[in-house]
Amino acid sequence: MNRRIFLMGLSALAGCSRDTRPRLNVYNWSSYIAPETVPRFEAEFGVQVRYATYESNEEMLAKALTGNSGWDVVFPTHNRLAPMRENGLLARLNHQWLTGLDNLDPRFRAPAWDPELAWGVPYMWNATGIVYHRSVQPPPGRWADLWNPALKGRLTMLDDPEDVLGACLKKLGRSFSATDANELRAAEREAIAQKPLVRAYLNAEVRDQLVSGDVLAAQLWSTTAQQAIDAEPRLAFAYPAEGFPLYCDCAVILRESRRARLAHEFLNYLLRPDVSARIVQATKTATANRAAWSLLPEAVRTNPVLYPPADVYARGEWPQTLPPGTQRLRDRIWTEIKSA
Amino acid sequence: MKLRRWFLLPAWLWMALLFLAPFAIVLAYSLLTRGTYGGVGGPWTLENYQRLLDPLYLTILLRSFAMAAAATAICLALAFPAALFIARSNRHRNLYLQLVMLPFWTSFLVRTYAWMFLLRDTGLINTALQWTGIIHGPLPLLYNNGAVLLGLVYGYLPFMVLPIYATLERMDPALAEAAADLGARPMVTVLRIIAPLAMPGILAGSVLVFIPCLGAYLTPDLLGGGRSAMVGNLVQNQFTTARDWPFGSAVSIALMALVTALLWALLRKQKEPIA
Repeated sequence: MNRRIFLMGLSALAGCSRDTRPRLNVYNWSSYIAPETVPRFEAEFGVQVRYATYESNEEMLAKALTGNSGWDVVFPTHNRLAPMRENGLLARLNHQWLTGLDNLDPRFRAPAWDPELAWGVPYMWNATGIVYHRSVQPPPGRWADLWNPALKGRLTMLDDPEDVLGACLKKLGRSFSATDANELRAAEREAIAQKPLVRAYLNAEVRDQLVSGDVLAAQLWSTTAQQAIDAEPRLAFAYPAEGFPLYCDCAVILRESRRARLAHEFLNYLLRPDVSARIVQATKTATANRAAWSLLPEAVRTNPVLYPPADVYARGEWPQTLPPGTQRLRDRIWTEIKSA
Repeated sequence: MKLRRWFLLPAWLWMALLFLAPFAIVLAYSLLTRGTYGGVGGPWTLENYQRLLDPLYLTILLRSFAMAAAATAICLALAFPAALFIARSNRHRNLYLQLVMLPFWTSFLVRTYAWMFLLRDTGLINTALQWTGIIHGPLPLLYNNGAVLLGLVYGYLPFMVLPIYATLERMDPALAEAAADLGARPMVTVLRIIAPLAMPGILAGSVLVFIPCLGAYLTPDLLGGGRSAMVGNLVQNQFTTARDWPFGSAVSIALMALVTALLWALLRKQKEPIA
């Protein structure tokens, strides 16, 4: 073979393998979009999307903090927005490029954590409550019911310091965002008193054990609880009477992104009512998008686990960003609970 | 330069890139101050190492040592007879060795999940025991120290069997016969002749089991249900939830230093190189 033909062949090969379409990099929580969400965006805008998933804010933050993570759009929980902004990780949203913010539920148009929606677009929200087997009598309705000795060995709490300490603080009539050392120490004593009853500290993996009946009561996120209830109708969910935390995941654009315009297009795409409604149908989450919510079937719209009625919702509290000193005390308390 | 030195170049590059460079980064992180929301920042400090002396963290370290030591002892008790059996068998020796290594064909994570399904209240073991009427309520098999120990022993048993087998296989069978001829009963032969000769394999196996058990994090997390932290979980927690990378780095460095000191002491005592 002569050299020129060989080289031409080589360059042709290179041409084939390289996709010249602009690429958007999206890093999202696992099971947080519908299967066709990304392919349809790629087809409509003639771009390719590199999509990957994470399981915790910390996993995502560890990458984003490098400032050179290669991601354009990520989905932090509302109280991670402030620290990300202070670390210079976020790009301010350009509202001239955003269409569809009017689709958002009024509750999410000027949220306390980002009143002008300058940094993130509210995406999906959920709460932490109690999922329990209907055979548990009386049915748990308060966090304090999770200290019932009858549940020994059949109860799990989340493997998350914010939620476990939060439940203890609420039991004591305090705020989830408590910063007072005495209040936090009192909450620690509650958690340690509860530990002999606790089978394990589990997150989403408790779902199968609830369905199989190994676990009778669990502290769990409303969306995961709904998935368990779909699989086992004898399970029920309670929003605790003392109050409960609400979390909202927001779509943000990282400052390192070099495709800000395309990233905005992706946010607009997610704000479309039909796209958002499909995601809700596929993943059983609660959308922050009012227009999408109206497209949902009646049974989903009135589902009391995903969309609690107004009087229940009023007991919810949006956990705030904690000051560093408190964070450190909480970390220590968590280690103490774990090794108690 | 002699050609044979060049042969070592890939190994040196490998060590420099994948061991020394990350090690230097972790060491530097351990001397820095925690960034407010993760990451690291100035000034340089030894505070992270001072925190290690806190009884809270010493307890976790001691618990990890105890768990790793217990797992090593159980592995040894199970592996020595098995290795001796394999070394003494003639016809099926290769089959037995394959069986020891068979679990490696599946991911460790998948096998740990399999144990969770076996040990659950509605799992295979509890269901079978209840069906036969031996027990009436499910036994709490999962999410306790016993389950963690089981997972560790299960995961690292082959690392004990193989080095012991390697030393036993090289041993001259005439030595055991001589002991028997001189009147030693089989048990005495095993304890006084075979075990001392297998010591290099036993030590190598113990090191190969003890060290990964000490830093284990997956097994305590999945089979222990996060109820009792081992040092691996402490490190993981510092890098994730607690967002305290410098302290997590300091714990890692301290753990490495301890393990290195242990190995060094062991190698000094053992004149012969370990298997």
